[in-house]
Order: sequence, then structure tokens, then C-alpha cells
Amino acid sequence: MSHPHEPAHLPVEIHDPAAPDEATVVPLKIEDWLTVITMGLLALITFANVIVRYFTDQSFAWTEEFSVFLMIVLSLVAGSASVARNRQIRIEYFADSGSPERQRALARFGALMVFVLFTLIAALSCRVVWDDFRFEETSPGIGIPQWWYTVWLPVLSTAIAGRALGLFIRRGREQ
Amino acid sequence: MIPTLLFVAFIAMMLAGVPIGASLGLAGAACIALANADAQWFGLLAVPQNFYAGLGKYPLLAIPMFVLVGSIFDRSGVALRLVNFAVAIVGRGPGMLPLVAIMVAMFLGGISGSGPANAAAVGAVMITAMSRAGYPPAFSASVVGAAAATDILIPPSVAFIVYSVLVPGASVPALFAAGMVPGVLAGLALIVPAVWMARKHKMGALEASLPRPPFWQSLREATWGLAAPILILGGMRAGWFTPTEAAVVAVFYGLFVGMVIHRTIKVKDLFVILQESGELSAIILLVVSLAGIFAFSLSTLGVIDPITHAIVNSGLGEYGVLALLILMLITVGMFLDGVSIFLIFVPLLWPIVQFYNWDPVWFGVILTLKVALGQFTPPLAVNLMVSSRIAGVRMEDTVPWVGWMLFGMFLVMVAVIAWPELALWLPRYLGY
Repeated sequence: MSHPHEPAHLPVEIHDPAAPDEATVVPLKIEDWLTVITMGLLALITFANVIVRYFTDQSFAWTEEFSVFLMIVLSLVAGSASVARNRQIRIEYFADSGSPERQRALARFGALMVFVLFTLIAALSCRVVWDDFRFEETSPGIGIPQWWYTVWLPVLSTAIAGRALGLFIRRGREQ
Repeated sequence: MIPTLLFVAFIAMMLAGVPIGASLGLAGAACIALANADAQWFGLLAVPQNFYAGLGKYPLLAIPMFVLVGSIFDRSGVALRLVNFAVAIVGRGPGMLPLVAIMVAMFLGGISGSGPANAAAVGAVMITAMSRAGYPPAFSASVVGAAAATDILIPPSVAFIVYSVLVPGASVPALFAAGMVPGVLAGLALIVPAVWMARKHKMGALEASLPRPPFWQSLREATWGLAAPILILGGMRAGWFTPTEAAVVAVFYGLFVGMVIHRTIKVKDLFVILQESGELSAIILLVVSLAGIFAFSLSTLGVIDPITHAIVNSGLGEYGVLALLILMLITVGMFLDGVSIFLIFVPLLWPIVQFYNWDPVWFGVILTLKVALGQFTPPLAVNLMVSSRIAGVRMEDTVPWVGWMLFGMFLVMVAVIAWPELALWLPRYLGY
């Protein structure tokens, strides 16, 4: 029941159970499970914070630092799944119209740009981690080595770049 | 030369369908490299630093939590019971179901923080009910899509949280309070044309013959839903929780209602709820963090000052400039979603706001009203995408109906511009 001019997809805000995942070499379940665990932990830690403060008048504000770290992990891990599913926010108006060849070329171009950006971030952030390690930076809240946090930036950025590359290859195979 | 390149590269990539975040990040990185050709590594170390710093802000944690609240309440069965209760109050008559749809959407706006999620929750219940009463599906889709747009004005609101992170002078509680009156006015401004159109076109003729739910029973069933905004907004007001904590309390309250009271959420649904809200949060947060790279390159290149200078000296005057900004944002809003508009334009417009000494909270409400209008202005109307899909109509079919409702909400925006007190009175009264 696809009509002309009608967007064939829902906005990113709404999960569409009718659209199954494309087959990927590395299963998307990895990201999905990590997303569920991180999201659950974030909710539990923040809730525990409210309860503890309410009943004991103590705050464990130091959990803020860990919550922020979990949020960064969530953005990168779930972001990686969203790249593989091509659910990033983008302007579909021109990219999803015109001939199938044009649509495919633009989809590949988009995936390639995501790949370039996150490869760049992954490479450059290695230097950030090295500096944190070399100068023995410690985190402001808990005082643990800062590189324990930042080391995940290159790792997870590489994962996103890999997902973008996978999308680029899949879009190339479609006829 | 480099600033021009920044904007040309950015706009070209965006129009070609490259994800907004990647366009922002790449254009920003390219300009940083060109501007620092002599520095070590072309100054590009600023890229991961700004990316990490853009994400590492505690207030942003409210975004995944409120997205999770929306996802849970969507499934909690609260919307259906609120609809029954609203029908029990207003009764059955011509034009009453559109009124109920708008009222319930506004009420759910006091729980969830995003328009499309609201459109999905209200649409799932109201669109079939309205079809059964004889309303054309395209009309129902228009009413639900427009009504859900009040969600981002009525606190809590993801849009206000993003704005607050961008603008130092506007706290989340102040913005939430400031959105309340304009949000309710926007809802009223939708009710008038919706009921008027229903009566004029003699829609919903079957409505009067449908049974009216008993008042006390529907009140009892709706109690759990009715208490949710009181818990969220009242808890913040009483100083029990910060916005993030209020969201997480609402998460567990919603889970309790959905799993224990209404039994609409099963344990196995938790995986889907956490996964989809996690992914949606990540989609928003990645744009936020990559926009940090773009904003950094804007500030180091010093492009904003000349643009501001040209605009404020253009002889248009304060309200001329404001009208021009709104016209521009309405045009951009046809292609871009609300969060991206905030991330791209708030840093650009900020010096203009300071030059005219506009209140940052008031300006945030104006921008959010504009984004709310954009959520049901075709062709890129995220709320209408959701509601037309549920109603099984094309988005074009809603055009004859949304026009008057757009006009109604537009008048509210003009009113808030003319009388800033509409937005600013409540936060001042509450002492934010």
C-alpha cells in the first residue's frame, strides 16, 4: 500500500516492528544487548540515588561521573546499531526520491561519510587516550585513571565506523 | 573563505541525505584542519575532545530517561483509560471526540517529552474510536498529529532540555515552567478549529449514539494515569527531584502501573522498551555531541560576529529581525527536525539574542513553539507521519484540515511574542 509521495518509513522516534533488520555479518544482537544493559543500569543507578538520598540524607554524587560515562557508552553502542539500521536523523527529501540508482548512490555516499568521520574520531582519540595515560590524568569525581573512561572512545568509534562500512557494502550489493 | 566552505559543505552534505550529525562533524573537522594548517595534527585533536565533551554533560542524562518514560507510558494502557475518563466528563456529542483527543494529548504531554511518541500513544486509541463515530480518518490523523505537538511545550520536554544545555542562562525548571501556559494555550487554540470543523462538516454523526462510560468507574481506572504528571511536575516543583530524577521516578512508576496494575507490559517487553528507547536516545545524543564539533569550529573561526553585525545593522529593527528569524526557521523546519534546528541555530542566533537583550527563557519558548508548528506542517511533519500511518491515509490528505489548526497555534506564537509575560510569568511566580 505504498502511495507516491508518502514517506515509506516512520520517523526515528517510532520503532517500526514491520521493518525487519537486514542481515549483517556481525549480529546486531551484540549492540542491542549492550544497549539494554546500559540503559537498565542508568535507570537503576539514578533511581538508587534518589532512594538513598531520600532515606539517608546522604548523596552519592560521585555516581554522576559513572552515569555520564554510561551515557557516553550508550550513545556510542546504540548509535552503532542505529548506523547499521540506517536510522540516523537525516534529510530524506532529496535522497529518497529520484531514480533507484541515484538513491543508492546517495545512500552509499551517506554511509561513506559516517565511516570517514568515525574513523577520524577513532584515530584521533587514540592520542587523547595516550595523553591521559602518559600524564596519569585522574577523573575529577572518583579519582580513577581517566584513560579507563576514554579508552572506550576509539574502541566504540571503530565499531560505528565498521557498521557504516557494512552499510556501504550492503547498499552496493543491492540491485 | 573557510567559513563559506563550512556552510557550503555542511548544507550540500545534508541535502544529499548524509546524516545530520555526520554532516556537522565532518564540516566542523574540515574547517578546524584548514584554519590550523600550521599546528600539530592541524589542530584536529579538538575533534575527539569536543565530541567527548559534548556528550559528557550530566543534564543530558534527562534525555534517555524521558525517552524511556515515553516508551513505557506508550504501552502502559494509561492513554485508553484517560480517553474513557475524558469522554465520561464531556459526554457524547458532535465534535466531542476531537476535543477529547486534544485534551488527552495535552495530559500525556505532562508525562512524556516528545511529540511523535505522544502521537503514537493517542493515535492508537483515538483514531479507531473516531472512525467508529464517523469522523474521516484524514481528519482524525490531523487532530492527533496537531494535538501531539503540544507535548514539547507542556513539561517535561526533551526540546527544552536540549535548549537548556545549549544556553547557559536558561535552567530546565525555568523552561519547563515557561512552557506550561503557552502549551495549554496552544491546546485551546487547536480545540477551537477542531470542534468548529467537526460541527461545520457534520462529522461524527454517530457519536451521540455511542454509550457514555460511567463517571466514577472511569475516574477510578484513570487515577493511576492522572497521578503521573502530578508526581513528575509536582515532585520537581516541591524540590524532591531534579528533572533527571523526576524522569527516573516516572520510569519506575510507569513500569509499576503497566506491569502490576494494568498488566499491559510483560517482562519480555522490557527488552524491546529498553532497546528502542536506548537507540532513539543515542540517535539524539550523537547529533548533540557531533554538533559540539561544529559549534567549536564556528567559535574559533569567528564567523558569528560578522553575521550578527550585518543582521543587527540591517535597519529591520528588533521585531523585523525576529519576524525574519521566524520566517527562516519555518522554512528550515520543512526539512529539519526540532533537535537539529536547536543545535544548528541556537549557537548562531545567540549573539543576536544578547544584542537585543531578549530573555533566553522566552526565546526558548518561541523556538519551541516554532518547532511544535513544524511537527505538523507537511511535508516533514513527524507527528503527522505517525498519525497518518495509524489512520492509513496519505499525509497529503491531512492538508485541508491541518491548515486551520496551524493558524490557531501560530496565533499563540504571535501572542507569546507580543506578551512575553505569557511565558515568563509562571517561572517568575515559582521563583526559578
